[in-house]
Amino acid sequence: MTSDPADPSEPTRPEGQALQPRRFMHLRWDLDKTYLRTEFDTVKDLIKTFRQKAEEKIAVAGASALLRALLDPRERSHRRVTFISGSPRQMRKVLTAKLALDGVEPDMFILKPNLENLLRGRFRAIRGQVGYKLKALLLSHMAAEHVDEYLFGDDAEQDAFIYSVYADILAGRVDAVALAAILSTCKVYRGDVDEIMAYHRQLFGSGEVVRRIFIHLERRSPLDRFAAYGARVVAIYNYFQGAAVLFEAGALEPRGLLAVTEAMESEGYTPERLANSLQDLMRRGVLHFGTIERMSRELAAAESTMGRPVPRFVHAFEDAIGSLENLQRPGPRWEAEINYLGIYHEARFRRQQHRFLGIRLLD
Amino acid sequence: MAHIVLDSCAGRDGGREALEAAAIASLQLDHQITVVGDESDITTALAKIAHDAERLRVAHARDRCEPDVDAAEVLRQAPRNSVVVGLEIAARDPSAVFVSAGAPGLIVAGAQQILGRIPGVPHAALAAVYPTLRPHGPVSDLFALLLDVGATVECSGDDLVTFAAMGAAYAAKISRIDRPRVALLCNGHGIANAPTRAREAHRRLLAATTAFEYVGCLRADSVTSGDADVIVTDGFSGDVLLRTLEGVAATGESLLRRAAEKFQWRIGVQMLSDGISAIREFTDWENYGGAPLLGFDRAVMVTQADSGRRAFLNAIRLGAKIDRLQVIAAVAAGVAEFHGLGAPSASPPAPEAT
Repeated sequence: MTSDPADPSEPTRPEGQALQPRRFMHLRWDLDKTYLRTEFDTVKDLIKTFRQKAEEKIAVAGASALLRALLDPRERSHRRVTFISGSPRQMRKVLTAKLALDGVEPDMFILKPNLENLLRGRFRAIRGQVGYKLKALLLSHMAAEHVDEYLFGDDAEQDAFIYSVYADILAGRVDAVALAAILSTCKVYRGDVDEIMAYHRQLFGSGEVVRRIFIHLERRSPLDRFAAYGARVVAIYNYFQGAAVLFEAGALEPRGLLAVTEAMESEGYTPERLANSLQDLMRRGVLHFGTIERMSRELAAAESTMGRPVPRFVHAFEDAIGSLENLQRPGPRWEAEINYLGIYHEARFRRQQHRFLGIRLLD
Repeated sequence: MAHIVLDSCAGRDGGREALEAAAIASLQLDHQITVVGDESDITTALAKIAHDAERLRVAHARDRCEPDVDAAEVLRQAPRNSVVVGLEIAARDPSAVFVSAGAPGLIVAGAQQILGRIPGVPHAALAAVYPTLRPHGPVSDLFALLLDVGATVECSGDDLVTFAAMGAAYAAKISRIDRPRVALLCNGHGIANAPTRAREAHRRLLAATTAFEYVGCLRADSVTSGDADVIVTDGFSGDVLLRTLEGVAATGESLLRRAAEKFQWRIGVQMLSDGISAIREFTDWENYGGAPLLGFDRAVMVTQADSGRRAFLNAIRLGAKIDRLQVIAAVAAGVAEFHGLGAPSASPPAPEAT
C-alpha cells in the first residue's frame, strides 16, 4: 500500500456553474440486488430468477431513472456504462431485453462464465466474486484522461470490498505485494490471479479515478460495516440518496434529480420517506445542509411532481432537517490506507458467527 | 400508517433498547418512526444496528432529564427534553403516537401543557391491562383494563365516571366488546364504606344510561376473576394494585427458583416447565407493551422505566393499533356521549397518509 490519496474529495460544483463538458464519466453497475430486485437466497429463487422473462424482472426503485438521468442524451457522448454481473452468460438475452425495456443501453455487459466454471471444476469461482469482478473491472477500465468512475453495488456480496481494491489499484495504493496477499486470502484461482496481476502492472497508479462507490443496502446491513472503507464508499438505502450525493458532486443535473424523485414517488415513496433518507445522509455527514436547501429550491422550481404539489416534498425536507436543530456534521474520513485483509477476515468471521451447524441464523 | 414518536432517552440500558426497538420496527413495520433524543448519540448507535433509514427519522432533544427529579423541576431546568420534544412532534401530527419510558409524572405534565384535551375530560388516566381468569369479548381477550394506574392521584367522583366512559370506549375498540362491563374498585365493606368520590361515582354510574354495563363494585381480590372488562379507580389505588399484582407474579418466579434447591422439586418443576413458561409468558408485562394515557387528543403510550426491546416493540405495535382503529376518536365520542356533550369537537381528524 503506497502513497497518500491525492485529495479524493468530491469536486463540488459551485451553484449555477455547468458541468465540465470534457470530463468522461464511467458508470459501473452490478445487476442483481443493485439494479434488479433479484432473490437468489434459495435454489427455488435461483430457478425462478433463471426462468423469468424480461418483462417480469423488476428494477430497484429509482435505479433505472437514475441511470437514464446519468446517461442523458445530451451528455451520452462522454458517458459510458458497464454492467458487471454475477449472473450466468446464458441470461444475457433476457437481461439485455430488460435493460432495453428500461431504456438503458449498456456500452459493455460482462456476465459470469458459470457453465465454463462448472465444466472445468472451478466450483469456488461459481460462488466467489473477488477474482471474477476484479478482473472484469480492470479489463473494462476506460483508459482515457479525465475520467470519473462511479461504481454501484450492493451489500449482499463483496462489492464494497472489490470496488475499493480496484479503486486503490488505480490510485496506486494497493501495490503488487498487497494485491497478491488479498487474492491469496480470497482463494482466487491461479489463472485469474495471473491475469489480475498482469492488469495491475498496466494500470497501477493510473490516478484517483473512482469518485464514489455506492452500496445499495438491499439487506439493510449496519452502516458500520462500510466505515472501514472511508468516505469513498457511500452506503445508500435507495437511489434517491444516490441521486442526492451525485447532485452535490455535480454529476447529476437538477432535471435528473427531479426525474429520480418522480420515479421514486411513482414507486410508492412518500415525501416523508424521501425526507428521512436525506436526513440520514445529513446525519452521517455525507450530504451538506446547503445541498438540501439547493435541492428544495430545484424541486420547488419545478411546477409539479407527478401531478402532486411540490411543496409536500419541500415541507417534508424542511421538517426533517429542522428537527436536527442546525446540525453541522463533518463528513466521514477518506481512508489513506484500507486494511483489506482485516476487513475480509472480519466479514468471514461474521458470516461464520451467524451460522450454527451450517444453518443460517438471523443477522 | 401511524407515526410513532419514540423517546430514546429512557428504558433499559439508558434508552439503548428503545433505539434497538425503533430499528427493528423500521425494518418490520410499515410506519414512520421518529426517534427523539441526542442526535449525535442516536446516529452513532444506529450505525451499529441494522435499520431502515427510509422509515426512521431523528429529532434532536438537547436537554437530558435527570431521573427522580420532580416533573415541574425538569420542565423548568430542561425545557427541551425528549418528552417535551416528542410531545410537540405528536401535537403537530394527527396520526402520531408518542411512546416513552420516561417518568409518568413528567409525561402527564408535558402532555397537559402540549397536547389538546378531550372535551369533558378534566384529568388524564393511565390504563393498564392485566391478565384475568375469564376471557373478554368476541376475540376471547384474556386481559382486562385497569384505570387509572398513576396519572391522577387525587381524583373526584367526576374523574372516576369519566375514566369509566374512557375505559369502556377503549375496551370496546381494542377488545371489540359491544357493551363492556365496567366496575368500580372498592374496599372490602361494599360501597357504603367507600370514599366519597367512589360513592358519588357509583351513584352517577347507576343512574346513567350508558354504552357500557355498570356492574357495581369489585373488591381487589376479584380483579383477576374477569367479572369486569374495565375496572375504574383513582391513580393512587390503581398504582398500588398494579404493583401488587406485579409483585405477586415476581414472588411466584422467585419461589420457582427456590424450588430448584431440592432435587425432587427440581424434577417436578422440570416436568411442569412448559406450563410454567406459558404462565410466565402470560404474566410478563413486557408482552403487553405500554399503558395508554387517555384523555388527550393524541395517543400516548407510557412503558415501564426498565422497558426492554420487547416492551417497546409491543408498545409500538399497540400504538399503531390505536391509531389504525381510531381509538382516541372513539374515546372522545364515548366521553361526549356520557356527558351529553354532542359530537366531540377535539376528536382527532383522520390520519394523513405519511
